[in-house]
Amino acid sequence: MVNLPRAAATSAAREIERHRHAPVRIDIEELGKSYGNFAALENVSLTVKPGELLALLGPSGSGKTTLLRAIAGLTATEQGTIRFDGEDATVLSLRDRRVGFVFQQYALFRHMTVFDNVAFGLRVRPREERPRAGEIARRVRRLLELVQLDGLEKRFPSQISGGQRQRVALARALAIEPRVLLLDEPFGALDAKVRKELRSWLRELHTETGLTTVFVTHDQEEALELADRVVIMRAGQVEQVGTPSEIYDEPATPFVCEFLGGVARFEVTAKDGEADVLGSAFPLEGDSDYCGPALAYVRAHELEIVARERAEGVPAVIRAVRPFGPTVTVELSVEGRQSRIEAEVPRELYSSGELGIGQGVFIRATAARIYAAN
Amino acid sequence: MNSLATSLRPAPSVLPGWGITMGLTLTWLSLIILIPLAGVFIKSAGLGWDEFWRLALDPRTVAALKLSFGAALIAAGVNVVFGFLAAWVLVRYEFPGKRLFDAAIDLPFALPTAVAGLAFTALYAPNGWLGSWLVPLGIKVAYTPLGIVVALIFIGLPFVVRSVQPVLADFDRELEEASATLGATRLQTVVKVILPALLPSLLTGFALAFARGVGEYGSIIFIAGNIPYVSEIAPLLIVIRLEEFNYAGATSIAAIMLVISFALLLLINLLQAWNRRRTGIQA
Repeated sequence: MVNLPRAAATSAAREIERHRHAPVRIDIEELGKSYGNFAALENVSLTVKPGELLALLGPSGSGKTTLLRAIAGLTATEQGTIRFDGEDATVLSLRDRRVGFVFQQYALFRHMTVFDNVAFGLRVRPREERPRAGEIARRVRRLLELVQLDGLEKRFPSQISGGQRQRVALARALAIEPRVLLLDEPFGALDAKVRKELRSWLRELHTETGLTTVFVTHDQEEALELADRVVIMRAGQVEQVGTPSEIYDEPATPFVCEFLGGVARFEVTAKDGEADVLGSAFPLEGDSDYCGPALAYVRAHELEIVARERAEGVPAVIRAVRPFGPTVTVELSVEGRQSRIEAEVPRELYSSGELGIGQGVFIRATAARIYAAN
Repeated sequence: MNSLATSLRPAPSVLPGWGITMGLTLTWLSLIILIPLAGVFIKSAGLGWDEFWRLALDPRTVAALKLSFGAALIAAGVNVVFGFLAAWVLVRYEFPGKRLFDAAIDLPFALPTAVAGLAFTALYAPNGWLGSWLVPLGIKVAYTPLGIVVALIFIGLPFVVRSVQPVLADFDRELEEASATLGATRLQTVVKVILPALLPSLLTGFALAFARGVGEYGSIIFIAGNIPYVSEIAPLLIVIRLEEFNYAGATSIAAIMLVISFALLLLINLLQAWNRRRTGIQA
């Protein structure tokens, strides 16, 4: 690695490359943490593969941030172990864990310039490990280049935008050459447009650094779009782990279905592993000869509005039409059901003028996920 | 650039109040502070320049001024250190009797300072509880400048504690956590992250404790021994001059004290303003 040719455009990435160690694997086993009677984490086991970008997704209070803080060593746990590449991390000090943590509100040092913030982790090292001032300055500049903030070295955090602060926090976390990178709601405090931009940028950055990265989010779209794998959490426990397509196509539980959103829920009765949803029969998930109450979920785009003449499905009345986006969303009411059902239908149906408010139609489901209700 | 007129008057606001609040404040400040203080200057101006300097540079006056400002600076400095510690303990830890401890901090505000002076004198006198131990070791507190510093530390402590306490209570714990994950030791976190954030409030506490110390009279006259050139403070010298019906001498000392105090307080305020402008942090 001595005579590395340097193209200016990729030098920042190469700098990271030069300091890169093999990505770390994180093994979490039976982790438990409670606050009084409240179990923040209960028997959480999870493996983060080396170099993967993992999302912890769940509603507030589901324990996702507690889990992230436990991995960082910021929250002490009562049970279980966390291993980095097989080494027990729970006995390591924060300094020895070498975890890059990006806080939701960034936690930048307000009295320090952008440069000093990023340099902080290098300057506090013990004398014998501390790089020389020139080396620190070089590394900080490279990092600022990497997060596209070169030129802002002398600004104070109060003098830059939210998105820029976010990237300063990221550069500061990367400066210590962390073994893993942890981000708490990385886009939570940003407006929608900046969020989208930073999302794809973070994905690229992850590819460049190759670090094992875990981030927390409550936004399912963000998790599914960005992560290699998604962990869905509920009440301190892991509900489902899988790739975005696994999670989306095969939600393991009613909770996952509902949390991903965009579904209509039906309380149905199953017989011999099948249940009737809007006039069509669908098989139950798992248990094939279950009889009894069940929950069925149908996504908006799996609902079809059929012409009156064909008399398929069940009768419904159009209550509202939201004609923006690539598809048209139609709100329908069905007899004997309190909440309205949302259906996404092709634009052509709207353009042809068949979707008048108050009009009676028939709807049917083209697919449904049905879970036995316990 | 704004013209002077517009910089004096803020942009019209939908929420009225500028005129009445500004007017009342200026009137009040004039009645309570500016007019009495102006009196001091007018009185000493009557002396003429040469006479004023003769009185001001009188060795006894100079010694008293040095003692007053020196002791107040030292005491305020000590209070910054121990006031910060007291604020830290009160904000960060729970312990039995915390409320009592917290309330006791304010006692120097409430207690007649003469009482404090008498108590200290009784403690540190050669036959007092502490004095009987310290004097044989060669440490004389009562009737020395050291006694003045001790009394001023007592008087000034609440200013520092009460300035720092709310700021420390609002201090974001995530900043400490960030510092720790970045590899800082606890000491590095305190010195590099917490103290700089508290600096403005520490400076405010210092300025208040210092200003209070310069003007302190009641507690000191009991413990100081009031030996001219050694342990005689400037406010006492003013009283002595007044008792001699030497009004000119008294006002000249007062005028000098005012100028020095004002200059030091202004300096501290400018430091604060500079720090705010530099970092863009609104206090």
